[in-house]
Amino acid sequence: MSIVPKETIEVIAQSIGIANLSSDVALALAPDVEYRLREIMQEAIKCMRHSKRTVLTAEDVNSALSLRNVEPIYGFASGDPLRFKRAVGHKDLFYIDDRDVDFKEVIDAPLPKAPLDTAVVAHWLAIEGVQPAIPENTQVEAIVAPSENKKSENSKEDGLLVDLKLPVKHVLSRELQLYFDKITELTVTRPESILFKEALVSLAADSGIHPLVPYFSYFIADEVARSLNDLPILFALMRVVRSLLQNPHIHIEPYLHQLMPSIITCVVAKRLGSKITDNHWELRDFSANLAASVCKRYGHVYHNLQSRLTKTLINAFLDPSKALTQHYGAIEGLAALGTSVVRLLVLPNLEPYLQLLEPEMQLEKQKNEMKRKEAWRVYGALLRAAGKCLYDRLKLFPGLLSPPRHPVWRINERVATSQSNKRMSSTNLSMQQPPLKKVAADGPTGALQPIAMTANLQGAPDGFPARSSGTGVGQPSTSGQVPMKTTGGRQEKGGSVAPKGSAVLAQAWKEDLDAGHLLASLFQSFGEGVFSFIQPVEMSFFI
Amino acid sequence: MEEEEIQKAVVAYLRKKGFTNTEHALQEEQNRVSFSSNSDHSVSRLENGPVRYSDGYSKLRLWAYSSLDLYKHELLRVLFPVYIHCFMDLVAGGHVHEARIFFHTFREDHESMHLRDLQKLEGILSPLHLEEIELSRSFRQNKFKIKMCEYSYDLLLQYLQKTQSFTMRGVINEHIDFEVSPGQPTLSSGDADFVTIEGRKNDLARQINQKEIHWGLLEDSLEQHLERPVSDSEKAESANKEMNPEDNKKRPLDGGKQGIPVKMVKKDKLVSMVGKNVRSETSAVSVAPRVKPELTLPATLVEVEQAILEDLRSRVQLNNLALPSISFYTFINTCNRLNCSSISQDGSLVAGGFSDSSLKVWDISTIGQLVKTSSLQGEKESAKNENFPATEERRKPYTLFHGHSGPVYSTTFSPFGEFLLSSSSDSTIRLWSTKLNTNLVCYKGHNYPVWDVQFSPVGHYFASSSHDRTARIWSMERIQPLRIMAGHLSDVDCVQWHANCNYIATGSSDKTVRLWDVQSGECVRIFIGHRSMILSLAMSPDGRYMASGDEDGTIMMWDLSSGRCVSPLVGHSSCVWTLAFSCEGTLLASGSADCTVKLWDVTASTRASRMESKSSSSNRLRLLKALPTKSTPVYTLQFSRRNLLFAAGALSKCS
Repeated sequence: MSIVPKETIEVIAQSIGIANLSSDVALALAPDVEYRLREIMQEAIKCMRHSKRTVLTAEDVNSALSLRNVEPIYGFASGDPLRFKRAVGHKDLFYIDDRDVDFKEVIDAPLPKAPLDTAVVAHWLAIEGVQPAIPENTQVEAIVAPSENKKSENSKEDGLLVDLKLPVKHVLSRELQLYFDKITELTVTRPESILFKEALVSLAADSGIHPLVPYFSYFIADEVARSLNDLPILFALMRVVRSLLQNPHIHIEPYLHQLMPSIITCVVAKRLGSKITDNHWELRDFSANLAASVCKRYGHVYHNLQSRLTKTLINAFLDPSKALTQHYGAIEGLAALGTSVVRLLVLPNLEPYLQLLEPEMQLEKQKNEMKRKEAWRVYGALLRAAGKCLYDRLKLFPGLLSPPRHPVWRINERVATSQSNKRMSSTNLSMQQPPLKKVAADGPTGALQPIAMTANLQGAPDGFPARSSGTGVGQPSTSGQVPMKTTGGRQEKGGSVAPKGSAVLAQAWKEDLDAGHLLASLFQSFGEGVFSFIQPVEMSFFI
Repeated sequence: MEEEEIQKAVVAYLRKKGFTNTEHALQEEQNRVSFSSNSDHSVSRLENGPVRYSDGYSKLRLWAYSSLDLYKHELLRVLFPVYIHCFMDLVAGGHVHEARIFFHTFREDHESMHLRDLQKLEGILSPLHLEEIELSRSFRQNKFKIKMCEYSYDLLLQYLQKTQSFTMRGVINEHIDFEVSPGQPTLSSGDADFVTIEGRKNDLARQINQKEIHWGLLEDSLEQHLERPVSDSEKAESANKEMNPEDNKKRPLDGGKQGIPVKMVKKDKLVSMVGKNVRSETSAVSVAPRVKPELTLPATLVEVEQAILEDLRSRVQLNNLALPSISFYTFINTCNRLNCSSISQDGSLVAGGFSDSSLKVWDISTIGQLVKTSSLQGEKESAKNENFPATEERRKPYTLFHGHSGPVYSTTFSPFGEFLLSSSSDSTIRLWSTKLNTNLVCYKGHNYPVWDVQFSPVGHYFASSSHDRTARIWSMERIQPLRIMAGHLSDVDCVQWHANCNYIATGSSDKTVRLWDVQSGECVRIFIGHRSMILSLAMSPDGRYMASGDEDGTIMMWDLSSGRCVSPLVGHSSCVWTLAFSCEGTLLASGSADCTVKLWDVTASTRASRMESKSSSSNRLRLLKALPTKSTPVYTLQFSRRNLLFAAGALSKCS
């Protein structure tokens, strides 16, 4: 009936020397004990409130007791919350762990550090209603403030946006200035040191450096322009950029326009570093990945970000007057943006480009070993990009490769395209399609299949001479994928034979054809180098 | 059937008179009789004791919840009083165990609205406790008043007649007053006001709130000195608006002449009372009537006056578009021992009261190098000139004041920063000099811990509030209180002066705020509406409104003249420790245990409420901005005369 059971009353009675308390008395006392307990706790809560706290302490209970002229309970006054331990074997029974302390231990122990004295520190919580981004304040979301305003009232938005930026400049504390100086100095002078690595970690994690972001972005832009022939510094700068991008507490969007040119410079610059031995390739890869990650993260905020980036890169890639290093950077940058970019932008231009590249790679035509090396690098990058793209495609259509494996395996020729080679791949293509289509069609009309197949088989020889006559090779820069066009035509032919209703089927088929043809055309370009990318799929096929 | 009704009446009568034994005897006898006379009837009779309450209540509850949506919320209001009284009847009847079960079965229904009451009532375990707990006593003695539309009332009556549940009928008749209004049911379903207010207290409050109150500002205040040169152009401006021309003439007159006859003031007051509804467009400041001080006020020094005028001249105008700058003083390494803090008017001094009985004062000009910006510095310099010869050298960054023998619960600076008052759980108030760094006076008068102490806006006088349920008015030169305000039913937790020094407001654990006339010591207003203990109060500078904050995080704005709540402000999730109006009264700042400072738009709310009908009070006061701190509960807020907002709090890591 009361939350205090009568057994408790009996135990308490025993503890103060009343051995023979009748159970009736205990039963009668129990409700009153509970009532008094509640009364004391109510007073204790009042004391807690007046101490401006929200957590009840033993001290509050003691002051409540003294309010009622009751002796306080000694031994529990402590600033820390009490640590309760669960009694073994009981679910709801707790006790306070009260260890025996050896006097000797206490006496011998070194004096504890004196607690720090209470102090008052001042900072600006708000300046004209706007919270400055200083470490003393919780992080402000710079974007949130104006959007909130927009919701509540449009008229004051203008004034506030201006307000937003002023205090940021205003409030650069001395500590922040020191921090900035230190970081910039490290970046420029000792980019290899361990300290710099620490600095990068700090940049990636520190919550208070938001006010420094404009300074950093300016510093990076400035420094990249200045030290184009100092590779270590460039690398260090790119690392700083990466750290800043990683930092979850800062708001880097407004400064991206300043950072992006520097990053792209590090991707497609003609010369990076002064010495021949400088490994600028690595820097290009690194920066290309950075640029791609920026696109991925902020692409939805700035819609033209990716398009501008790709435009820059594709221009660099397609301009034959540019240096091979620039081409390399452009390819890497495009590849980092994802396979679809590669498929849409690089692959159509692959064949003509390879034709350009080929003489550079051959020993007899390009005497300059440096240049040749570069060309091979570019070739490797291209291969990688195209291969990744292919791999990606093939993942979508895992069954694609089973038939062509054997014929392909036999072919062992070089990049230089020959008629027979093409024929071979083309036949591959036609061979692989029927089973595939079976998968795709999966039974709308059984009769459709043979027709389509025949159409296809007819189509293959049809399309083939057309291509060997050179149209596919001849027009690199027309809009779509040139090789695809021929297939497209073929497919249309097939479609016209087949009933019109199978549009879906046609679509699926086209995809198949794309993928199949992709392999073929890539194979044309790269030879068996491409097949290293297919391996896993084959494996899966075997299993 | 009739016989039963008679029995009911008898039982009710006995209970009302408190003849519980007789009642029991009667019941027992009845049981016996019915047992002997009719065996199958007796079974139900036996059960009837405690079970009829829970049965009757659960049926009523089911009926109320399944009633028509339109009338549902009105009918649901009936449930709480019935629930409470069923429980108390059960306890009073000695069926404690059943009462417990009953209480817990239906507790959830009412938790959202009446959690605090339930927590208090939960402890009732014997009839004796019923007498001891104030809440239950007041429930027993007073009637609930419930507003209802005609149709709902009819529905209820029909139900009660149909079901023949006499217990419920008895409870409802005994403890609930219905205020039946014709027409449609009221729309505000969430309003608990309709239920919680008890009859007698409400009547009392209404009676008290009829009294006249002069909320206007003091005549001949310094603000007027400043206004005087401006007032010509202002007059022309305001004349264009549709303003009461009489009033318009009177105001500059007030400011112009020093010793204005009392009659004139009276008339002005009357006009203000009557013409309040007429003047709806003009801002509150310009029409605030002037009143004579009832206390003899201390004279201000000329140089102090100059400094204030200087401050007033360079005051930043704040409104919902121009928000204030906030300088935050964080106490670190306090180990949860800081109980209170206060900041002097100019922000140059910060005091902290600790639970180890000590009181520490920091001079910000010596530590806060970072804060030194143009606006603040100017203010500090002016403060320094008047307060500090700046000759002292201090080893510690603060001045330590020892004297109390218990936790310090409140501190307050005099308006010009030369004195400091502190109140403590040792039931004393001490006056300290910040110039001499010493204790000047110890005021003994309260019998229990003094929760709050506040200097009047002009200094010299101060008010204190205590656990002994009184508030007291003191003057610095006397060690005995000048007035004792008694009337609250529980601890008086906070106290605040009205802008014209003629009134003080007190907030209490009995969930009411009262306004007292300083001269007569009478209670002139009772503000009912909070659901938990009141922790902070603030008066608007024009003297028209008052804000109060409670334990749950609710802030309420009150119109002093009508005694009504203008608008409740919901936003804080924990105790509102402090409230402050900006100097021209356009913004309200609130600091809370949820580690935020919130800024509220006062003008929007009051303007809206003046234009619309006053009765409907929705959440109109707009939240302008919430400024979170880094886990620092905000203990105190203070607007400087230049409208810079100072805030202070202790950094608490474990929160």
